[in-house]
Amino acid sequence: MDIKAYIESGVIESYVLGMADAEEAAELQRLSLEYPAIAAAIKEREQWLREFSEATGRPAPAGVKDQLLQSLGNEFAVKPGPVHVINRRFKYIAAASLLALFVSTAGNVYLYRKYTKATGDYIALQKEQVQVLAVNQTYQARLTAFDHDLKVMSGPGVIKVPLAGVAGKEGSLATVYWDTHSRDVYLMSNNLPPAPSGKQYQLWALIDGKPVDAGMIADCSSSLCHLKKVTGAQAFAITLEKAGGSATPTLDQMFVIGNVKS
Amino acid sequence: MKEPQTYNTEQQLINGLKQREQAAFSYLYDHYSSALNGVIYNIIPDTNIATDILQEVFVKIWRLIDSYDPDRGKLFTWMFNIARNTAIDLARSKEWRNSKLNNSLTEDYAQLPDQSPPSSDLPELRKIVYSLKEEYKTVIELSYFEGYTQKEIATIEQIPLGTVKTRLRAALLQLKKKINL
Repeated sequence: MDIKAYIESGVIESYVLGMADAEEAAELQRLSLEYPAIAAAIKEREQWLREFSEATGRPAPAGVKDQLLQSLGNEFAVKPGPVHVINRRFKYIAAASLLALFVSTAGNVYLYRKYTKATGDYIALQKEQVQVLAVNQTYQARLTAFDHDLKVMSGPGVIKVPLAGVAGKEGSLATVYWDTHSRDVYLMSNNLPPAPSGKQYQLWALIDGKPVDAGMIADCSSSLCHLKKVTGAQAFAITLEKAGGSATPTLDQMFVIGNVKS
Repeated sequence: MKEPQTYNTEQQLINGLKQREQAAFSYLYDHYSSALNGVIYNIIPDTNIATDILQEVFVKIWRLIDSYDPDRGKLFTWMFNIARNTAIDLARSKEWRNSKLNNSLTEDYAQLPDQSPPSSDLPELRKIVYSLKEEYKTVIELSYFEGYTQKEIATIEQIPLGTVKTRLRAALLQLKKKINL
């Protein structure tokens, strides 16, 4: 093969300029591996192409480079290496994810605390409400009792009999409200010492000089106790007796006594 | 201002591009944009369109650099072919053909200096091609500027493929002689 003629045929120029067809290009590549002169000729034509292109170059308008740098901006590596491109993006995503997780966790903790506090507050409020309700019921009961007591005390034919402390029991005080129509007897123990265990206060009606049992006294300090019906009493007295009461009063254990004013 | 990075060998530049270094891209643009812009302008003598193509070419170079094989030619030859092919794609588009047709019509009716460039403004390569003899001018026009294959040229010109090859090679040798670097 005439290498020199081949080199000077113009086929290398057409190859370098991208005008050779596939067969010509394949042949030239094969020959360039076989003949160093052809490989050198290709290099020489490539150099010529570059020099000619530079000689006939046209500077691109200003700003094109900046536009390119901007549009390719996110494709540049911060540090060399394509791995870093992935790493950098991954880092951003990971950082964003971590931040989101942190914010979410913080939010959850905050909301959980609020929830716990709200639940606690709710339970406390419920308890309080139950308490208030109980207190309210107590007051209602007491109010009803007072209302009843007041009706008893202010009823027509009701006589108020203050029972004052006898000698030695001066501080003691009780009041009998006696309905002379219905004969019902009510007692308010304004101030009686607490009964010792096994003992109980007993109310007596003195009828024509004789003591008649008028009932056992439980706790009558805050509201009236309804005791036995009594007819024709001139006085009332309270003695401390054994629990369950006695048939006759133990006179040295008398605390209070008061006459019915006629 | 940071000292611009330099790439002493073509291989260093290629490595920099493959490692997605902005400095490598910047260096590439600074050293090759003018030459490639000239290549494009020879085919598309319209500053605005040529600039658009230049941008497209640099994006292609940047994104296709991994497919560049140094065993098959120098970096510039590879970039030259990207630039020429991208410009030819546009040259063969309907839009460009229509605008060229319009230009030649205006040229026929009135030589308006601010609308159609005087012949001295013709791209350098075109001027030299126009000075070749007719049959050389035709094959180079069809092949280099319009991107027809030798087979297609044989069909268009109704001459044997072998004649196209001979004519094209001779035309290129003539052209090279006239360029006279």
